[in-house]
Amino acid sequence: MRLKGLIVCVVKENKIKMSKSPIISSGFSRRKFLQYSSLAAGTSILAACTGGGSGGGDSADLGENPIKVGVLYSTTGTIAIVEKSLQDATFLAIDQINNGTGPWEANGAGISGRKIQSVVVNPNSDWDLYNQMAKRLIDEDQVVCVLGCYTSASRKSVLPVFEEKDSILYYPVYYEGNECSSNVFYTGAAPNQQITDSIPYSFENFGPKGFFIGSDYIYPKESNRIAIAELEKAGGQAVGDEYAALGTTEFITIINKIKAASPDFVLSNLVGDSIPAFYRQFKDAGLNAEDLPIMAYPTTEEEIQAMGPEYSAGHYTSFNYFQSVETPENEAFVSQFKEMFGDDRVTNGVMEAAYIQTFFMAQAMKDILEAGDEITTETLREATRGQEFNAPQGRVKVDPDNYHAYLYSRIGKWKEDGQAEIVFATDAAVKPIPWSQALYKGRMCVHPVPDDRSDPTKETGKELVPEFL
Amino acid sequence: MLDLALSSMLSPVYLLAQEPAAEEVVKEAFKFSSLANQVLNGFGIVGILLLTALGLAITFGVMRIINLAHGEFIMLGAYITFWMQDTFNMDLLMTIPFAFVGTAIVGAIVELTIIRRLYGRPLETLLATWGLSIVLQGVIKLIFTAQLKYVKAPSYLSGGIDLLKDEAGSPLVSISYYRTFIIVVALALLAITMFLFYGTSWGRQIRAVTQNRSMAQCLGVNTKLVDMGTFAYGCGLAGIAGAVISALKTVAPPMGQDYLVDSWMVVVTGGVDKLIGILAGAFLIGESNAVLAFFLNDPTARVLVLGAVIVLIRYRPEGLFTVQKRT
Repeated sequence: MRLKGLIVCVVKENKIKMSKSPIISSGFSRRKFLQYSSLAAGTSILAACTGGGSGGGDSADLGENPIKVGVLYSTTGTIAIVEKSLQDATFLAIDQINNGTGPWEANGAGISGRKIQSVVVNPNSDWDLYNQMAKRLIDEDQVVCVLGCYTSASRKSVLPVFEEKDSILYYPVYYEGNECSSNVFYTGAAPNQQITDSIPYSFENFGPKGFFIGSDYIYPKESNRIAIAELEKAGGQAVGDEYAALGTTEFITIINKIKAASPDFVLSNLVGDSIPAFYRQFKDAGLNAEDLPIMAYPTTEEEIQAMGPEYSAGHYTSFNYFQSVETPENEAFVSQFKEMFGDDRVTNGVMEAAYIQTFFMAQAMKDILEAGDEITTETLREATRGQEFNAPQGRVKVDPDNYHAYLYSRIGKWKEDGQAEIVFATDAAVKPIPWSQALYKGRMCVHPVPDDRSDPTKETGKELVPEFL
Repeated sequence: MLDLALSSMLSPVYLLAQEPAAEEVVKEAFKFSSLANQVLNGFGIVGILLLTALGLAITFGVMRIINLAHGEFIMLGAYITFWMQDTFNMDLLMTIPFAFVGTAIVGAIVELTIIRRLYGRPLETLLATWGLSIVLQGVIKLIFTAQLKYVKAPSYLSGGIDLLKDEAGSPLVSISYYRTFIIVVALALLAITMFLFYGTSWGRQIRAVTQNRSMAQCLGVNTKLVDMGTFAYGCGLAGIAGAVISALKTVAPPMGQDYLVDSWMVVVTGGVDKLIGILAGAFLIGESNAVLAFFLNDPTARVLVLGAVIVLIRYRPEGLFTVQKRT
């Protein structure tokens, strides 16, 4: 299995190097060129394929006829920082399911006796590799479904694969919406579970003028477009809209533009390693949270820990889950996670989504096996619809119509200790609406029963009102 | 990619054309004090560029080693600072000498085991250092995990210098102490390095070795020792850069890649023969980036500056500051 993975890498990397090398290879022989390119390919394989193909840490006996599940997260490259923690949360869930511990205690070890075999691949933060690795998981490893992806760019890259080959992806990330595939279960927040509550909150508590910033790719741009529409609907105004290249750590220009525009609040959709750099330079430039708070979506406990809580204290994040949520399920989740990965680790909302979607999947598989059926794409899809689970954030459910998840909407204000004080929370999980109602009034998504993969979008013409579980 | 660059390039125009409210904002942003503030803070960017490029100016500018692992030496410096703060609870400034010595030792080992065997073969060096950068990132990730790391800035360097205030007393033109500190460190290191190279016998030996290796050898210069010392010194400077910027930026295994490209632009623009060239290179790239980004936006400014560097190299392949040489 590992060998096959290597071949995929060799072919890919060689192609790239072959085309690049001649630029730097003025006047040296063809033979040497071949030597160099094979050397280059060799080093790339090391980088891209370390850890590829191995079962994530659980080399224990998986018994007879294990269920093969793909785990598609990058553990190298720029996005590895986030995706490694998603992988950790997924491993924790799989470990609990296989051993019958944690939330799976009542069901015994495995899914009706069969254990999960995780097939782990590492796409090295390279959008094209996500596509190739997804094909490999489905065609060669014959997995029944895949848990994975973080950025919208990687989701867009694998989406055609899952649709063409009719397989299922469980995607655990808050995202910009505007999508409703029969082959994806979206267990992170839809726009109405994050943006629609945080913008009116900012408008009322901070003021009407917002400055919007983000990393320069699809999610932050779409997310900000929706947020700006929501703010204008509330009567406010966007006084700036700025983007920085993914991975940038120099923010003095954007901070100066923020100062010049004097907004009432900043809405940040910066992701990854840009986040700590931005908050530090924000405070360093003499701006403070009392006069100019930052409302953010991708800033979680993990990034707060990396920047130092003194830089984040007083700023806000809108998310479905915070480590400080007070439920017995969350207490158990946090302590089990720390037990497995170390006391200095924190949990965050994306990790929680990666954790709960593994249980959605396992519950659906259990229903199928108990009914005496085979686990196929059709049965898994129908069985996952409507699954409910007592998650760390509260009771959640997979919407049977649009395959997104009912989730709580919360706003946290960061404290000096790096944890959030929850200043706003819905009483129950909110029904997901994949299309922003400020931009696409009345558009909804209803997959037929059973799903024949026809176009699920429907125009009602009337604005959809929030519904709760 | 092209589509992306195009749309972001057009966005200010789009704002101007579409939204009257935004037009007002743009006009306001053009105010003189804001521009002055941006230019002043541009020096902060210049300082960081100078600091991160200085090590490369030694390893590439002086020794002609195409060092693609330069960014990883910056990262090593940052991790040494993180580790010392974490274990010994040390002040950031106290960790700087350790970052220098630590990365210099790693640099010496790398020179002894890899670079030494590849002098005069730039392509092999390129591949070897590229491989080395992957290995160093991997090793750091294995030791410290992929999580972002927290480095504490010294409390006495928080706050800033206000040069101009408005009526309400909020600063219009100001630069933070920490960025000023970076500029001072960068200039001091440049001065020390220039003194070492042009004012000491060690510097004369280095220049002799790079100009004519066999002749220097004939005259009794221990070229192997000089090579190792120079490479280690260049790596040590990168380590200092990593230690100093770690409190302002993000510490993570891939952090070096970001600085690698910038450092190369600075060194190549400034000219590889004279150390003073990197001051000019850093100033040009830093300020033009800052000013362009202020009027347009960050990604567009980067595209324009990178394009300008390519044009410059087309017409002045040796950079801005060059020495006429007989070949």
